[in-house]
Amino acid sequence: MMTYIVFILSVIFVVSFVGFSSKPSPIYGGLVLIVSGGVGCGIIMNFGGSFLGLMVFLIYLGGMLVVFGYTTAMATEQYPEVWVSNTTVMGVFLLGLLMEVMLVLYVLKSEEVGVVFKFSGVGDWAIYDTGDSGVFSEEIMGVAALYSYGAWVVIVTGWSLFVGVLVILEVTRGD
Amino acid sequence: MNPLIFTTILMTVLLGTMIVMMSSHWLMIWIGFEMNLLAIIPILMKKYNPRTMEASTKYFLTQATASMLLMMAIIINLMHSGQWTITKVFNPTASIIMTSALAMKLGLTPFHFWVPEVTQGISLTSGLILLTWQKLAPMSILYQISPSINLNILLTMAVLSILVGGWGGLNQTQLRKIMAYSSIAHMGWMTAVLVYNPTLTMLNMLIYIMMTLTMFMLFIHSSSTTTLSLSHTWNKTPLTTTLILITLLSMGGLPPLSGFMPKWMIIQELTKNSSIILPTLMAIMALLNLYFYMRLTYSTSLTMFPSTNNMKMKWQFETKRITLLPPLIVMSSLLLPLTPMLSILD
Repeated sequence: MMTYIVFILSVIFVVSFVGFSSKPSPIYGGLVLIVSGGVGCGIIMNFGGSFLGLMVFLIYLGGMLVVFGYTTAMATEQYPEVWVSNTTVMGVFLLGLLMEVMLVLYVLKSEEVGVVFKFSGVGDWAIYDTGDSGVFSEEIMGVAALYSYGAWVVIVTGWSLFVGVLVILEVTRGD
Repeated sequence: MNPLIFTTILMTVLLGTMIVMMSSHWLMIWIGFEMNLLAIIPILMKKYNPRTMEASTKYFLTQATASMLLMMAIIINLMHSGQWTITKVFNPTASIIMTSALAMKLGLTPFHFWVPEVTQGISLTSGLILLTWQKLAPMSILYQISPSINLNILLTMAVLSILVGGWGGLNQTQLRKIMAYSSIAHMGWMTAVLVYNPTLTMLNMLIYIMMTLTMFMLFIHSSSTTTLSLSHTWNKTPLTTTLILITLLSMGGLPPLSGFMPKWMIIQELTKNSSIILPTLMAIMALLNLYFYMRLTYSTSLTMFPSTNNMKMKWQFETKRITLLPPLIVMSSLLLPLTPMLSILD
């Protein structure tokens, strides 16, 4: 099972995405986002990116999702919608679940799956140790490269985030 | 809106398009599109009534979906080519998905349904920015991936856009919806020649932007958003009736006005590539466009449209100062003799 851990984690990832995109109340969407964030962290860590997984937990779950949770708790209604309370939500969730199950069975059974890209069975999802990259870890060097060679990316993303806040404040301010 | 915030947000719209046009990394292009989308939402929502909010929501949803499709095409391209540089797209599936995403951003058929509704819901100035500046970024990407675009899909979308743009505008009296359908048709003309000679796409874009800018400036000058209120311009500023006549006929593609130049060049380029039926169909469907432009000129410039007697003595506030109107009018009507200069664009 451990060789196929990334596959299993990615299935849980997709199922939790189906869980919040079937639109229950935002509080339950936030709950499922926590699960998907944790599972996503697991996927990243299996590829050797321990720093980035920590970033997911600290910044995404511990910063952004906490703020989201607080604001949703302030704006929530008396009886928020669960997955089972509304036929539509339940139907969409089950539909997404069914499609994921069918895809998993297709991947597990057939020899070669060619949807957009070809991979042969579950074997392609296992993580192999791709050999020595030296004394450093690749993903830390990637983060370092972001702040040195990729300074323009930092400027652009920083400005986008700042303008995002400006836009949101402007839109919700009203007249 | 606070002027400082408004300037910042407007500059961010410009910055987003600039980033799209000058980046060589697919991820930066996607970031540029998102920045552009995010920053134009408060510009579309300058007035706070339910119409503008609905129009902004529609715009945001369609453009966000298009950005998602673009990201998917970028990742498929990455999987098959292993690199992030903007060159032609190496996988047919990625190419089709990317073409569809960019067509959604431009408003080509079958993704054209948002254009009239969004343009109608917002103010005239915001509509101007939406129909001119926002077309630059997706068109520049189409230009850059033009060697690898699937010809069948693009030509189908182009011809259907010309048809829908002409046909859909026939029953409209609201000026913003007329301009929206005109934009759909012109985008169809631009993308039809993209695979054959992308320079002509850029020429058509340039002249289309000039003509649309002129039309919107004339509408803003007379504060008119319906055909009926446009037909009262003879009372306010009689000179603009002639200008509206000239510009509208130029948009319809009549020689000797400059709107004829892109259509002529496109038809010539298509026939050089041995497709005769296609430009014939396109030219015939452009007549639908010309019909509703001529209806506008009929009610505005050629006749004194019937109105009640108190409409014949209108008073108005101080005349608005419209930026660059004379040069725009000259450029959107008199550029045809400069056609031999196109040889410098090679």
